[in-house]
Amino acid sequence: MVRGRRLFGLSAVLAVLGMAGFVLVLGSLLKSGLPLLTWRFLTSSGNVGIGPEILNTVVLCSITMIVTVPLGLLVAVYQGEYLRRQSRRVRELDHLRATLMSAPTIVLALAVYRVAVGWWHWPVSLLTGALALSVINWPFMVTVCRAALSAVPDSYREASLALGASRFETVVRVVIPAALGTLIEGIGMALARLAGESAALIVTTGVNVSQHWSLWGPGETLAVHIWYIRTEGVVSGRDAEAAATGVTLMIGISVVLWLSNRVAQLFGRSEGGYDGT
Amino acid sequence: MEPKLRVENLSVWYQRQPALKHVTLSVEEGEVLALIGPSGCGKSTFLRTLNRLSEEQVGVRVSGSIMLGDLDIQESHVDVTQIRRRVGMVFQAPNPFPFSIFDNVAYGPRLQGVADPGTLRKIVEQSLRQAALWDEVRGKLRRPALALSGGQQQRLCIARALAVNPEVLLMDEPTASLDPLSTAKIEELVGALRGQYTIVMVTHNLRQAARISDRTAFFLDGALVEVGPTRQIFTAPQDNRTEQYLTGRFES
Repeated sequence: MVRGRRLFGLSAVLAVLGMAGFVLVLGSLLKSGLPLLTWRFLTSSGNVGIGPEILNTVVLCSITMIVTVPLGLLVAVYQGEYLRRQSRRVRELDHLRATLMSAPTIVLALAVYRVAVGWWHWPVSLLTGALALSVINWPFMVTVCRAALSAVPDSYREASLALGASRFETVVRVVIPAALGTLIEGIGMALARLAGESAALIVTTGVNVSQHWSLWGPGETLAVHIWYIRTEGVVSGRDAEAAATGVTLMIGISVVLWLSNRVAQLFGRSEGGYDGT
Repeated sequence: MEPKLRVENLSVWYQRQPALKHVTLSVEEGEVLALIGPSGCGKSTFLRTLNRLSEEQVGVRVSGSIMLGDLDIQESHVDVTQIRRRVGMVFQAPNPFPFSIFDNVAYGPRLQGVADPGTLRKIVEQSLRQAALWDEVRGKLRRPALALSGGQQQRLCIARALAVNPEVLLMDEPTASLDPLSTAKIEELVGALRGQYTIVMVTHNLRQAARISDRTAFFLDGALVEVGPTRQIFTAPQDNRTEQYLTGRFES
């Protein structure tokens, strides 16, 4: 008991220290960034604002999610619902997924660069970036979907099968609706993770903002922008600008996380499924 | 009259472990057959082969024949979803879907392609009435099924099974997780459904078997020891082992 209490004390102290550090960082970021955070800063381009960067971040994350959510769900359904659990093939796939997930994102991005830019002659562009992010995100998405689906009790599956549903009908009509809340929350987490990605995008989407916005043009994102002005920037007040960009990014991520959490709770509470009468 | 279900020489293995050995048993149309026996004796396995739910598990092998009317449901060309519509099932723990009461009961009919709201409403009401739940949930059909009490949830599961109009109803210890009052309601319900549906019910509760079944089958170690009219099984069992079980000399 004493030992348990000591461990608890230690973890409490560590937690407080961690929180304090976080608050400190956040505070200094807000202090230097907030004064710069004007409507003009958020909407204009060039040296005075981060409008294009916001747009690029949103577009990149959206394309990536449109690609990886169905893909992740499909793989998760195939592994969890069709290949029965614990089969050899599932274990091999799990191993591959774990490897991909723990690989540094820049390494994956370099591989994508080699294939997309080197072999297919894609330009360094938003689409190349979306491809890189998709490669980075899909193992994470599979993990999120697997966890959400396997949290659905087997008794639901049995009930559905016993009523004459096929495996596919069971997945579509019972398992996915029952897992929807958890799925949405996981998608929010994946989005937050992607929005902060920088290394992979420096290689694949570049650090420029093109004059004429296009999916085939380069498109710097918020996170890349922070990195760029901190390391290469020659403008005056670059620290403040980086801080303001950081604050914008953090607010964006917080909104996404909060929203996905709320929506997830909405589904979790009413457990809607499809509508009746 | 032809029996509703005729099981012949049925054996089931999990991996290499035999779970059922050469079971031959008939179920008459409209009767309530109780399956009793100690834990792990194969009665649940037997129940799950009757709608081929056992094959959803990994490494299960089944031999022998199960005739539903004049259809051998073990044959590979037989559509398993079709069998499960004719042979409904109620599980040990109530397992309503996390949807509304209405959507739970309408699940089966919708699978069969019934989309007309009027028809669905009619089926839902009729099934809930049959399951003796209608009076408690009328006007609340949009509420989540999980907000019901355990006993109500189990009756909802029975309504859900009845909604696809099955011929046979399999019940796997349907009152095992319920309080005495809810149990009594389920037993009453089984009595009311007798004759309309052929019911095969696994139970650990010997008194329950004695109260509500027409015939009783005693399983031990994966084999069927004896089957007969409930009164005879309980008062004058033919086999020594049945008597030992009924007098509490096996762990149940």
